[in-house]
Amino acid sequence: MRAPWRRSSTRAARGEGPWAWLAAGSVAVSLALLAVLLGLLAVRGLGYFWPAEVSLVTLDNGQQLAGRAVKEAPLPGGDARERLYRTGNRDLDGAIWTWVGLDEIREESHPSDLVVLERRRWSAFIGRLEAIETGDAGRITGEEAWGALRQRLHSLDSRWAEIESLHHRTIQPLVRRLEAGAATPEEHEALTRAQARVRELQAGMPDDTLVLKTVDGRQLREPLIEVARALRPNNMDMLEKGRVWVQGVWSFLSEGPRAANTTGGVWPAIFGTILMVVLMSIFVTPFGVLAAVYLNEVAHQGRLTRWVRIGVRNLAGVPSIVYGVFGLGVFVYGIGGHLDDWFFASSLPSPTFGTGGLLWASLTLALLTLPVVIVATEEGLARIPESQREGALALGATRLEMLTRVVLPMAMPAMLTGVILAVARAAGEVAPLMLVGVAKLAPQVPVDGEFPFLHLERKFMHLGYHIFDAAFHSGDVQAAMPLIYATALLLVLVILVLNLTAIFLRHYLRSRHGTLSKY
Amino acid sequence: MQHMPSPPPLRRHFRQTRDRLATALITAGGIGVIAAVMAIGVFLAVEVVPLFWSSSGDAPRINMETLWLPQTYEGHQTPVHRWQPALSEGGGEPRFGMLPLVWGTLEAAVWALLIAVPLALGAAAHSALFMSRRLRARIRPTLELMEAMPGVVIGFVAGLVLAPWLDVHLAQGMTLLIVLPAGLLLAGRLWALLGSGLRRRLPMGWAALWLLPWLLLFWCLSSWLAPLLEAWWFGGDLRAWLEVSLGLDYTNRNAIIVGMAMGFAVVPSIYALAEDALSGVPKSLVEGAEALGATRWQTLWKVVLPAAGPGVLSAVMIGAGRAVGETMIVLMASGNTALMTASPLDGLRSMAASIAIELPEAAPGGTHYRLLLLAALLLFVFTFCVNTLAEVVRARLRRRYRRMEGLS
Repeated sequence: MRAPWRRSSTRAARGEGPWAWLAAGSVAVSLALLAVLLGLLAVRGLGYFWPAEVSLVTLDNGQQLAGRAVKEAPLPGGDARERLYRTGNRDLDGAIWTWVGLDEIREESHPSDLVVLERRRWSAFIGRLEAIETGDAGRITGEEAWGALRQRLHSLDSRWAEIESLHHRTIQPLVRRLEAGAATPEEHEALTRAQARVRELQAGMPDDTLVLKTVDGRQLREPLIEVARALRPNNMDMLEKGRVWVQGVWSFLSEGPRAANTTGGVWPAIFGTILMVVLMSIFVTPFGVLAAVYLNEVAHQGRLTRWVRIGVRNLAGVPSIVYGVFGLGVFVYGIGGHLDDWFFASSLPSPTFGTGGLLWASLTLALLTLPVVIVATEEGLARIPESQREGALALGATRLEMLTRVVLPMAMPAMLTGVILAVARAAGEVAPLMLVGVAKLAPQVPVDGEFPFLHLERKFMHLGYHIFDAAFHSGDVQAAMPLIYATALLLVLVILVLNLTAIFLRHYLRSRHGTLSKY
Repeated sequence: MQHMPSPPPLRRHFRQTRDRLATALITAGGIGVIAAVMAIGVFLAVEVVPLFWSSSGDAPRINMETLWLPQTYEGHQTPVHRWQPALSEGGGEPRFGMLPLVWGTLEAAVWALLIAVPLALGAAAHSALFMSRRLRARIRPTLELMEAMPGVVIGFVAGLVLAPWLDVHLAQGMTLLIVLPAGLLLAGRLWALLGSGLRRRLPMGWAALWLLPWLLLFWCLSSWLAPLLEAWWFGGDLRAWLEVSLGLDYTNRNAIIVGMAMGFAVVPSIYALAEDALSGVPKSLVEGAEALGATRWQTLWKVVLPAAGPGVLSAVMIGAGRAVGETMIVLMASGNTALMTASPLDGLRSMAASIAIELPEAAPGGTHYRLLLLAALLLFVFTFCVNTLAEVVRARLRRRYRRMEGLS
């Protein structure tokens, strides 16, 4: 990290000519591109959770609509522009988007009584709350209806949480046991009990009905239990919006996807990514270090070793999809197919290990990142002065003792750097995963309470693939865009943090061992 | 000094045995791991061989001719190149002409390099010769982070944000190509006219940062200028003009979009290696040139670049290797249509994207499967050779630098 010489006199600088400025500009342009990309992801990704104001638009023809303004675009031909509103109400209108020409708008206001209801089955409802019909307190109308709705939703929260956890912890695993034909009578009984409890909880929910009205006057009756969240964004102050924002971020991180991956959270994808990466580092660390130690400490340093070293280094440049092909051909069809023939013949036409899964994906990525770990570890080993090794040997240590007591501890930060870089690379790779085991939607997380707890043969969800899938295989890309931005931001953040850690480690390493260098 | 008791022979024997055992294990493990990594090439080659060796009865016959030369398929009068491995309806023979895929791969890579190479080399030259030391220590890790940006994110932004934007703002995009360099040249002119006080405030070494607001200004200028230019030169509608006078049909996701996205992805790797090569040139050469009165740009052009040329070339080669094999960006930004046109405004389909889309559906052992493995083998061989060549060139260069330093 040194400039080759000091900045020279003004005379030289004055006469640099045009090319020097184009060169300076290319640094600026690269930086700007990076900043634009990160800024775009940050603004759009974080803005997704912000409860934006809902506009009430009155058109020239007297028609009214309510929605959130999303973007503006020029109309083809001419100077006119049109604006896209997210109006929700898919069950009523058949679509959630409305384009409105700017010159058609007579008036736009933000009345504070507009509500946004997030519903469990349909997309959001945007309109007004007329009344709430309750079993115990009769029909509540006007401003009190909103208060009653908030209060009732709040009291429902704990019931939904219990139902959710019963489904996840008890019912789903037991149903799987049942399907596998391995359930004991006690488990049967536990399942019946849990299902009864769910029914009881659901029956105990109030059968209140909301009377809703869209801004153009259509009425709609919606059972209260269909509503997940109710907001009046125009009536909220900054603090309240902030709270809703934090809640939104949290549910994005902790919930599963809904509506064909276009809304909801990404928790299974986060979990799948982390689990896969952890497994991968368990595979890659010992083997990478072993190979590096062999190359640097044991092997005869001749022409062959040099060529092998160049070869390994170059494997880092081989496209990741090629590793995916290797993983599919060797791990999935080769080893997986044989494992199925030998151990899982009973379930055979449907493959157990003979299809993509967690194990094969992490092995493939381990292979892909092996060169990264080998190169980084080797660099660390090469930095350790020969005198340290000779000193250890002179004191009577065997080679193994010299390695484990002196050399490897000194090379530890380098190994760590390599592993972190490997993890950062693996977390962002999607192409090989498409071949060896990623799933669009995996209902079961690969870890649960059922023996053997970690299910290596299952498919899993992945943040990167989630982006690809939501962007290209969802019916309504426009609706999925905010979610994709948020997911992309999350993925980029994870990778940036990992890379920054590696950079700092390497920096620390250089400042500590820089003076000890072998050359 | 007290004499240390020597360890009992049994223990020494045990330690030595353990050491030998461990060394053997490390050797075996190391060779095993390296062999496993190297096995990729062997696996691909072995799987591809049956394609040409035995064409059993019902499988469509594949040989070098059907793969690479135009074929007359059912329903065509003239021989054409086609990649249609699975015909959706009506059946018919699958069409296995690999050339469109190879073409798409190379086209994407060439466009990426056309965009990345000037940017990356300019940036490398600036940061090796002009940039202040402190800024450089910050810029390098920043661009390293750019390299770590996952392809799927770049592909998403290219395919779903950039492509629709350019669809509407094509004229502005083209105006930028003229306006930004013009703005930089103007900046240079103005800077030379500045008083020395102001110039000290805006030193050349920090130009990369203070040029940013300047470029933003020209961005705004371009958005104002674009409709005017479009009206003057292209009759108000650039896309109609392209179609009528050049016969180019604008596709939403096209080779230019792929080139821009992949260029962005490739810039950091070219930059890092080229910068290493340029700043590794022995100081004595540079100082000599400066002492003889050369400006820094003259030094770069006449002294540093000839010395570091091979290193810069190897940086570009590594970039090419990356561009050829990148999957997600092409998959998401290109539209994946296996065309063979030279038009940069058409879609394309690369080998890597084909593998990612088609391989999960191809029956293992079938012709289609083996052909996709052939594509993977081609990618592997190409990138491996290019990288090895680049590595050899860089090793030569390092030796050359050492010799130069020895001479002076």
